[in-house]
Amino acid sequence: MTTSTARVAPIVPRGSAPDAHRRRAARRRAVRPWVLLAPTLVVLAVLLLWPLVRVVDLSFQDFGLRELVSGESNYIGWANYAAILGDSYLWTVVLPNTVGFAACCVVLTVGLGTLVALFLNILGTFWKTVCSTAIMVAWAVPAVTGTYVWIWLFDPLNGLVASVLAGLGIIEPGTVNWYTDRLGFYAIATLNVVHHGFPFVAITVLAGLLTVPKELYEAATMDGAGAWRRFWQITAPMLKPVFAVVTILSTIWDFKVFTQIYLMPGGNGGNAEVFNLGVWSYIQSFAQGKYGMGSAIAVLLTGILLVITVVYMRTLFKEEDL
Amino acid sequence: MRRTGSALAWPALGKSLGVAAILAFALFPAYWMFSSAVDVDAARRGATLIPTDLTLDHFVRVLDVGGFGQFMRNSAIVALGTVLISAAVALLAAVAVARFAFTFRRAVLVLILIVQMVPLEALVIPLFLQAKNLQMLNSLLGLVIVYLAFSLPFAVWMLRGFVAAVPKEVEEAAYMDGASWGRMFWAVLLPLVAPGVVATSVFSFITAWNEFIFALTFLQDADKYTVAVGLQRFFGQNTADWGAVMAASSLITVPVVIFFVVVQRRLASGLTAGAVKG
Repeated sequence: MTTSTARVAPIVPRGSAPDAHRRRAARRRAVRPWVLLAPTLVVLAVLLLWPLVRVVDLSFQDFGLRELVSGESNYIGWANYAAILGDSYLWTVVLPNTVGFAACCVVLTVGLGTLVALFLNILGTFWKTVCSTAIMVAWAVPAVTGTYVWIWLFDPLNGLVASVLAGLGIIEPGTVNWYTDRLGFYAIATLNVVHHGFPFVAITVLAGLLTVPKELYEAATMDGAGAWRRFWQITAPMLKPVFAVVTILSTIWDFKVFTQIYLMPGGNGGNAEVFNLGVWSYIQSFAQGKYGMGSAIAVLLTGILLVITVVYMRTLFKEEDL
Repeated sequence: MRRTGSALAWPALGKSLGVAAILAFALFPAYWMFSSAVDVDAARRGATLIPTDLTLDHFVRVLDVGGFGQFMRNSAIVALGTVLISAAVALLAAVAVARFAFTFRRAVLVLILIVQMVPLEALVIPLFLQAKNLQMLNSLLGLVIVYLAFSLPFAVWMLRGFVAAVPKEVEEAAYMDGASWGRMFWAVLLPLVAPGVVATSVFSFITAWNEFIFALTFLQDADKYTVAVGLQRFFGQNTADWGAVMAASSLITVPVVIFFVVVQRRLASGLTAGAVKG
């Protein structure tokens, strides 16, 4: 029967052949982007979306080492969330650590990054290149090795800071351990994260500054506006989208700082006073074997980040048509 | 009266001080890493701003005794694997979102943006359990696969800017000459976006090279460690061999810094294309 169908085909009026061809071409055009996207979407589904569903599922279980071995599930409803939210540890330690630290880091990162960008913008080409290469180096130093350098600088026994302070007679050598103190710990972590994060802000803001017409500043200067007023009345409004993006991105990054906190002395389980949400989740899961509890904390962190991301999306989509 | 604040009125001294401050702040930790790495007794005589007694002993120690060469090889394998897969996959997706108008295009873009906020702590628990079931823990291939989760969205986002920057006319001219879509992709589009692919690949390479939390969780045997995890071997119970840690850190950092400085211009333009132009 197939042969006869095949023979029928050429009988179709000649006029419709280009039509069919065009239709096939149109269909190919409609399908092509999805063919191109397919591998990416599969990877995202398997490695991101499915694990997210799974972590929510785990957060409703008492999933511990026994379940890890047997592979069984053990649903307990909202108990993990009740335990976390009912624990004063969350409200007095982990949340203040996470939010306070992120807030300080974002303000300092964006502030310093903007100052550096404004300064680079008035330099000549040579020094601008030298300085931006230097801040690229600060950006490039990996989080792990960068963190070890800061730990080493503040090492209580032989670190540079301790030695200098001891040399000046301010402290007795080897008596002060900043890491055991919550504020000291986070001061060092803030220095580390700001140092690593300000280059992104500086480079992005500098790129934005180049798009502001010079005439605006010239006119403002003629009218007697000082640097402060020129910044708030010209630069800030013109670069609002840039500032919005760098602020929100920094917020997202600083909320989920893990490596720096985990690697600092006490951060990997030794001192529960210094945990943030991410480290707490990790310790609960991989040190305590309470994967269900760890998942619930991770879901809480993800929820907070999701809210920030929605704000980010709205900023981005309001400014530009994708 | 002094013309306060005018860009032209910035005194040369102020500029010099500003440049000095930026250079000092930006470079000091890296300087301290390298100078400790070549200082004879970094740990005992911590605060020597300019080391006078230089040595390569720390490097010899980490490479010979500490097995750091193996960690560097493992990291290179994982990072190259991640780069090859994510560059190929991301380029296709970037072309789709930059060149085609289709329903849900915006939804796809939002998805690609939104997944970048997911904290790794949320992914590491389910992916660890899954890798355990599939017996992929302790495997470099398993690590390459999970690294795609975060290298891919970023690569798509960045490449999209580079593809969009290629004028449409170039493609149309190729069609006029009778080229098929596939041929246009290989012969016209790919050579034009090649610099963008290189910049994006360098960035993916660095992300994989630096990654810590998955490597820490997944890798169990020392012969599988990547550099980020391997560093911990130079810490004792209460002491650290700081000379060795700084020498190993230098070995990890040098390739990253070189890559970064080489692609900085393209990196900045790719990022701003992503961040500023949406």
